[in-house]
Amino acid sequence: MTLLNGLLPPYIESIAITVGIYIIMALGLNLITGVTGQLSLGHAAYMSIGAYASAVVSLQLGMPFIFALLAGGIAAGFFGLIIGYPTLRLTGDYLAIATLGFGEIVKSLLFNMPIVGGAMGLAGIPFKSTLTVTLIVVIIVIWMMVRVERSRFGRALLAIREDDIAAECYGINTSLYKVKMFVLGTFIAGIGGALWAHKIMVLQPRDFGFMKSIEILNMVVLGGLGSIPGTVLGAIVLTSIPEVLRFSSDYRMLLYGALLVIMMRFRPNGLLGGVDVTKLVKKSIKSITGSNFADKEKKKVKGGN
Amino acid sequence: MALLELNKLTIQFGGLIAVNKVDLKVEKGQISALIGPNGAGKSTAFNLATGIYSPTSGKVLYKGQDISGKPPYYINGLGIARTFQNIRLFKELTVLDNVKIGCHSRSKAGIFGAITRLSAIKNEEKQIEEKAFQALKLMGLDKKYDEFADNLSYGEQRCLEIARAMASEPELLLLDEPAAGMNLQEKIVLIEKINKIREMGLTIFLVEHDMKFVMGLSDRVAVLDYGVKIADGTPEEVQVNADVIAAYLGKEVV
Amino acid sequence: MDFTSNFIVQLINGIALGSTYALIALGYTMVYGIIMLINFAHGEIYMVGAFVGLALVTIFKVHIIIAFLGAMLFCMLMAVSIEIIAYRPLRRSKRLAALISAIGISIILSNLVNLLVGPKPQTFPSIEKILFEIKSFDLIAGAQINTLQILLIIVSAILMIGLQYIVKRTKVGKAMRATSQDYDTAALMGINVNRIISYTFAIGSALAGAGGVLVGIYFGVVKYNMGMLPGMKAFTAAVLGGIGSIPGAMFGGIILGVIEMMTVAIGFSSYRDAIAFGILILVLLIKPTGLFGKQIFKKV
Repeated sequence: MTLLNGLLPPYIESIAITVGIYIIMALGLNLITGVTGQLSLGHAAYMSIGAYASAVVSLQLGMPFIFALLAGGIAAGFFGLIIGYPTLRLTGDYLAIATLGFGEIVKSLLFNMPIVGGAMGLAGIPFKSTLTVTLIVVIIVIWMMVRVERSRFGRALLAIREDDIAAECYGINTSLYKVKMFVLGTFIAGIGGALWAHKIMVLQPRDFGFMKSIEILNMVVLGGLGSIPGTVLGAIVLTSIPEVLRFSSDYRMLLYGALLVIMMRFRPNGLLGGVDVTKLVKKSIKSITGSNFADKEKKKVKGGN
Repeated sequence: MALLELNKLTIQFGGLIAVNKVDLKVEKGQISALIGPNGAGKSTAFNLATGIYSPTSGKVLYKGQDISGKPPYYINGLGIARTFQNIRLFKELTVLDNVKIGCHSRSKAGIFGAITRLSAIKNEEKQIEEKAFQALKLMGLDKKYDEFADNLSYGEQRCLEIARAMASEPELLLLDEPAAGMNLQEKIVLIEKINKIREMGLTIFLVEHDMKFVMGLSDRVAVLDYGVKIADGTPEEVQVNADVIAAYLGKEVV
Repeated sequence: MDFTSNFIVQLINGIALGSTYALIALGYTMVYGIIMLINFAHGEIYMVGAFVGLALVTIFKVHIIIAFLGAMLFCMLMAVSIEIIAYRPLRRSKRLAALISAIGISIILSNLVNLLVGPKPQTFPSIEKILFEIKSFDLIAGAQINTLQILLIIVSAILMIGLQYIVKRTKVGKAMRATSQDYDTAALMGINVNRIISYTFAIGSALAGAGGVLVGIYFGVVKYNMGMLPGMKAFTAAVLGGIGSIPGAMFGGIILGVIEMMTVAIGFSSYRDAIAFGILILVLLIKPTGLFGKQIFKKV
């Protein structure tokens, strides 16, 4: 279990854990915004709910980390349900504002809640998010997301993104699917938040504002809305580059804003948008080995004929 | 009992009565058509039948069951599938995925199915794929399964709309101007396909502009003008109806 | 102070605050009416207006009225450029793209101002030094209204009447209404749709810039992040009144301002922001077309 821990220099290891957590956060948002096309501007709020809930489970109840992790996910998913149920009937633009408003409300509530330390924050959370643990969770989340995307459920979400009226006419209860999807996406954000709490060990409400949501949105947009490999790439690039270049946070936000505008203008599908990575891999395998592995796959797909 | 029945169906948008007390029956196994000049309310009638709009008054009956105001996904589940006049494909998805989505009502897997992928789910997915390919083959699109829907030609996109509708295994197929924008050759092929679908036992209800297309194909034709039904009968009857000629055919003689 | 006078005081405060929301809300509603985009950067345009007004008064030492007009002009030009750079190329792509681009612009603007003037609030020179002495007048039951509030309300009212005149009585206004009805048909009728969209951004942003300066004068401070919250509240006001409706935006703004001040008056001041969002979500769920909006039928 602890195989990987301590293998890297501590500074690099710390960055790697952060990268992993952001991959999880970004994948949750990718499901909501990339796959289903519902712009959420409050993703950091669900991260904070997961972080605080898991911290309380660790600190007050002294339960093992796995429970703290799940508690974080469940708490965030529960709020996802409460918020998603009324707001997801709204069209894209309204949803964006409603999620933004909700994010700000969560932040101000955390400021005023004694049990989580209010503005002072919550300290003394045990360090549990080792590189190994984080990596395992990252792999599970990626695996889940790949399976969801290539399923009846995932296709329904894509249909909603492409044309919600047509989706509704082909038997998809769009409101219900959007709520289910939102609960799953916010559950994943909560898991990410729980990992974050047990890495950073001190939680402060101001760490989970609008700008954090925008940071995560940037990762999804950079890699490619709806693309899992793209989102992973986006999270890696945007988490590690500022660490390495040591940008001041003011310039970083400016860069994020510019990135959103530039990406939408010149590459709205992201760096990897429209690139089928599995196909690419198969192609390269074929060209390297010269085998007909890729052809076999194709035949399997056409099996229905 | 008619398969689909519109009963004094009315919808009002602000001051405009788009569909006004329309009575109409679509008999099982037949091809029925709804024609009329632009803006006569044909597509609106379709939108009422598929649940996109709720009628201001009147009813839509399917197999005797009142479905007016029910949500579109529910109506699709009952066995009514439609195409769209202004092509509403899932553009950035592949042809195959478009048709697979059509199978939604006839399959079950949810989130947990997606994640666990038990053998029942795998089987279901296999069946979906088989059905999707059948529907594509019917419309002659099976070779293009891997293309993005957006990259198909206009005529192919119209065919894909029908394939997607067929994948939901409907009893009643509603075609909203299926021949719009097609050339003569494509139209002839389309008529063949529609006849083939009828032979499979489906009931077809279509809205069309192209009179020749409708007259050769339909068992019954109803004519709508300014939201009001002005004629209803066999193509031969409708063609000689004075009101119809005045409203419509006067300008566009068949 | 008894209950009645307290009520009246808060009502006046609410109307004053609400007029600024209304000025911002008009920009949201006009832009949404024409291109169906929530211009996320609109709150930031209002913030920039406040800073331009401040700079003109303190650095360039111009008269406050010149500064006021200067801020309006600056916001006009800025918004028109933003539309051309960040929104126009995306007009035919998915709505999500334009929305994300708008959020990007909003972040750029607030952080640019943060870099230029720093995160500390900047004081706006008191109106007493530059225009007139603030006097208070007694209304009924001991409640007072001061000249500053009167100024704020009157200037807002003049601007809104001016807008109504432009939209209802001029050729440009007619073209705007036509474009918001049906974009493509308007273009076919020979309306230069691009130019009309530019006008819409220009007029809406001039009002936001004016609102920024008025708020600077009224509250005495301006800050780089002052745009976001009022921006969101103004958006709520636009939705409350019925998005796309100009009178709706005016009334929505004033209603929201009054509700907010009443919330403060009854002792829930820490919830004043949450109230706005609560209203937003309620309106969207119960009557998404707002108080004055026309019912919209989805085109299929």
